[in-house]
Amino acid sequence: MFKNEEMEINLGPQHPSTHGVLRVKLRLDGETITHCQPIIGYLHRGVEKICENQSFFQGQVWTDRMDYCSAVANNLGWAEANEKLFGITVPRRAQYIRTLLNEFNRIASHLIWLGTHAMDIGALTVFLYAFREREDVLDINEAFCGSRLTTTAFRIGGLREDLPPGFDKMVNKFLAKFSSCLEEYENLLTENRIWKKRTIGVAKLNAEDAIALGVTGPMLRAAGVAYDIRKAFPYAAYAEMDFEVPTRTEADTYARYLVRMAEMRQSARIIQQCMDGMPEGPVMAKLPKIMRSEVNEVYHATESPKGEIGYYLVGEKGSLNPYRFHVRAPGFINLQSLPKMAEGGLIADCVAAIGSLDIVLGEIDR
Amino acid sequence: MSEPNAPQVPEVPEAPAGPYIYDYKAAPNRQIAMPKTVPLPSRRTYLAEQKAAAEADEAKWQKTLADYETAKAKAEAEGKDAPKAPVRPVPRKDDNDLKTPFPEDAKDADLLKLQVLLGDKVEEVFEQAGELVCQVKKEAILEALALCRDEAALKYEMLADQTGTHYPAAKDFAFSVVYHLTSISRRRRLRLRILVPEGFVPESACPLYPSANWMEREIYDMLGIRFANHPDMTRILCPEDWEGYALRKDYPTVGWGQRDISFREDRGGMLERIALQKAGQLGINLKQPKAD
Repeated sequence: MFKNEEMEINLGPQHPSTHGVLRVKLRLDGETITHCQPIIGYLHRGVEKICENQSFFQGQVWTDRMDYCSAVANNLGWAEANEKLFGITVPRRAQYIRTLLNEFNRIASHLIWLGTHAMDIGALTVFLYAFREREDVLDINEAFCGSRLTTTAFRIGGLREDLPPGFDKMVNKFLAKFSSCLEEYENLLTENRIWKKRTIGVAKLNAEDAIALGVTGPMLRAAGVAYDIRKAFPYAAYAEMDFEVPTRTEADTYARYLVRMAEMRQSARIIQQCMDGMPEGPVMAKLPKIMRSEVNEVYHATESPKGEIGYYLVGEKGSLNPYRFHVRAPGFINLQSLPKMAEGGLIADCVAAIGSLDIVLGEIDR
Repeated sequence: MSEPNAPQVPEVPEAPAGPYIYDYKAAPNRQIAMPKTVPLPSRRTYLAEQKAAAEADEAKWQKTLADYETAKAKAEAEGKDAPKAPVRPVPRKDDNDLKTPFPEDAKDADLLKLQVLLGDKVEEVFEQAGELVCQVKKEAILEALALCRDEAALKYEMLADQTGTHYPAAKDFAFSVVYHLTSISRRRRLRLRILVPEGFVPESACPLYPSANWMEREIYDMLGIRFANHPDMTRILCPEDWEGYALRKDYPTVGWGQRDISFREDRGGMLERIALQKAGQLGINLKQPKAD
């Protein structure tokens, strides 16, 4: 009946791998995708417009809610962009604590990616295991700032509070068992025959295309480009940390998995260094009660778990709110590469490609 | 003849000339405060402002001195004690960790190179907060982007971000479009900027940087700037039939369907009751259910 006929189907928005609102229009020749068009849905909340009409301080809670899986990383980028706009020097202790929490957030975000990506492909056990460790990280978040998901962790100029008593005990307990947990996931997946068949050589995106399409983060590093903003444009306390940027050259889904696993190990290493070298001192810069901006424009990019998150702020003279607030969302730019990865492959590979992008639709639509 | 107890009708501003129809009279609390300034960082404007401020300060001081002289002469003529001599105020000492960066002259090699290569197509180059800014003529943006990407000494491989800003208070232009380029190999960032008037169609960056595709669609959706030679110039965040461009300054912050009242101030629940009544008038069933 369908012989010699192209068929058009929608992958999503109800498919579990499409995270709620993403719709992918596929044109199929048999089971091969000949054309792929992602439609990101109309989740748009107008975060940019809202933040333009609120004070600089109030913007923070909105950054939490964009990419709710990496709220701390979003807060960090926002806080540093504001500090660049006002020219604020942040105390060294605050920088260390920020680095520490940001790395914990990277682990939490990668764990949720690992769980859901593996579940998309069909491995449910990893999903349950990954959430077990993620709970511990969220407990640490809760101990620091009282909330688990939308943390609102930082303030412009530093932190609201210092670390709570007993925090180092929690962190050490986590670090002591985390490497064995990672080994557990790798035992389940890395040499797993089904996992390898579903991921090796699937959804390839070479370095040239990735750079042209603006793809950043683990996606780019899995294509062999060692571009990590923590190293290239150091921020917070990353200049003082000793860590490696894991890269792979295969540029497929399996390489992205390996890069993210290696990144989690490096994150644990950075957390250990932060705990060992934590300086004493204040955690908040001296700021006037009311901060009025001057005419200034900044673009500050940081390395969120998903890639480069950039905040573009324009300050108006004597104003309490930003004149322009724009977010360069990593998921938004990375999702552009989906047609490049999916076209020519099978439908099942398209699911793997969406999973390897690590998207959160709340951030894509803002 | 008006009644003495007639309620005061609040003054509503004229609706701005936008592409969409907006009924201000129906919702007076959705008024918009349009910006009066153009916060466009520029070394030239900054220097002019500094000079004007210094001159105004000097003029004020000269006037204080002249006033003092007249007061002194008057006091001498009347045989009274001379008034106190004025003291020029020194700026207050600031202990805060806050030093707002101001635009500085371009010293970076990349900016100087761009200035040489593009010649009179460059409108302004400067540095601010450690960031390189190059403002080019709006017709020459594609040429500038090509130069940044292909020139061996520049080599900005990635277009990290592209966005725009609406400046309704400006005279010669309405929008700025900024391109944030990243050089992965040289670890540098550069901002290119063009100023475009309403209705101008800048060249799309897609042929050079494919990542501009969705970003330009977003700019079109949010600000209404169309790009020439773009492969798919359609809306991306809003539905196709959406009215207006949400990130323009004349677009209301409180949107359709949003509540007109602040529940934060409503401790007694009075406003909520009014809202429920209003909702009832609109035909939405939000009223408390009754037993009968």
